Amino acid sequence: MMSTPIIAQAKIYMSIEQAQKIFFPSQSLTKSPIIISDELQEKMRLASSIRHPFRGDRIWKTSDGNWLIIDEVIGKHEMITYAVALNSNGSILGIEILEYIESYGYEVAEVDWRKQFVGKTAKDPIKLNQDIQNIGGATLSCKHITDGVKRVTSLHDLSLKTIR
Amino acid sequence: MRRCQALLGTFVEISTDQDDSQAINEAFSAIKQVQDLMSFHDPSSELNVINQTVHLEPVAIHSWTAKVLKIAQEIYEQSNGLFNCGIGHRLVAAGLLPCHMDLSIYQMSGIEDIRFIDPQIIISSKPLCLDLGGIAKGFAVDKAVESLISCGIESACVNAGGDLRVFGPIPRSIQIRNPSRPTELINIGSLQNGAIATSSLYFSKRDQLQSHIIDPFAQDESEVHLHFSDSYSIVAKECVYADALTKVLALSQATDHPCFNYFSAQAIKITT
Repeated sequence: MMSTPIIAQAKIYMSIEQAQKIFFPSQSLTKSPIIISDELQEKMRLASSIRHPFRGDRIWKTSDGNWLIIDEVIGKHEMITYAVALNSNGSILGIEILEYIESYGYEVAEVDWRKQFVGKTAKDPIKLNQDIQNIGGATLSCKHITDGVKRVTSLHDLSLKTIR
Repeated sequence: MRRCQALLGTFVEISTDQDDSQAINEAFSAIKQVQDLMSFHDPSSELNVINQTVHLEPVAIHSWTAKVLKIAQEIYEQSNGLFNCGIGHRLVAAGLLPCHMDLSIYQMSGIEDIRFIDPQIIISSKPLCLDLGGIAKGFAVDKAVESLISCGIESACVNAGGDLRVFGPIPRSIQIRNPSRPTELINIGSLQNGAIATSSLYFSKRDQLQSHIIDPFAQDESEVHLHFSDSYSIVAKECVYADALTKVLALSQATDHPCFNYFSAQAIKITT
């Protein structure tokens, strides 16, 4: 029998639109999806050691040639969606966490419970412990984000920089 | 507005009631600056320059680094040596920190051997391997709070992976993770214009890492890493003191250690 995961916290910090405004307040963005071939997927996996496939449909380009890329990392204990803003030359302009979902007693990557969050936006906070704001305790590691950012910068190096 | 960035090896969350993105950007920049100065992981940080050269020649340091070292020495003295940042080599040996220098040839000294020959120039008579991981996070939280206040923010919470400080007219309720089941939260009341930091090992155990709480007085290699299952929190006015004093509480096991009174701090132990 499957047990129900107990979620300690699920926080939505901002929407993709809000991230766009934070990084590029005065530039217009155009959605620029790219098809991630198996070969590219494999190269990004090697560069970052992240196995979860990268989705090529959440990429935007500004009129100045900068990029905004949304990705997520799925660890054993958490799933984090984040935005990376890149300069046209591939250097990082900023990284912002969009969503942080922590699970318990379950491998996040293995189950389909993510479905319950599909379609939620920052204006529609997940109704789980949403009143809880300030959590103290032992320090959580952000190592997965570091790996994730490596994957995004490798995407620029392998593909985006050749797109005119 | 609530934003979160990955800094200081953890997740830093800044919550304000005002929608001022610029003020929050500046607060994150202050934290980034602490990271750039005091990171052990970054080989080019000022901390790593200190570790590599301070026993050879005087080192000029940033005023923020100087302040952290001063506070670290003050807490070292008041805790009778229980809080000592000169344990970097222990964490390197345990695989918890990267190795930037050959540590085997030296007998490492501690924070007590740092001497200020000027407010921002230090020297040490002996080699040392400082790790500011037990204090810089709290200092970074304080710097972010100062930055928010100077930008006109009236009320906010800055939370660096569980070490947090609140300011403003509104008390904020604080939850602490239950050390027995870290995803369960214990409401410990509300906090106004103060900081709370916590040391515990539940995430280290979960991730099968060696304990990062080091006993500076350990004689034997097997006694270097402190093992415990409880959770140790300190409430103080500033987060730098809260952060550092959690180590004194974890090591002394004494909620009434005189050093807490000296720094106007209060200790909270949550047992499993």
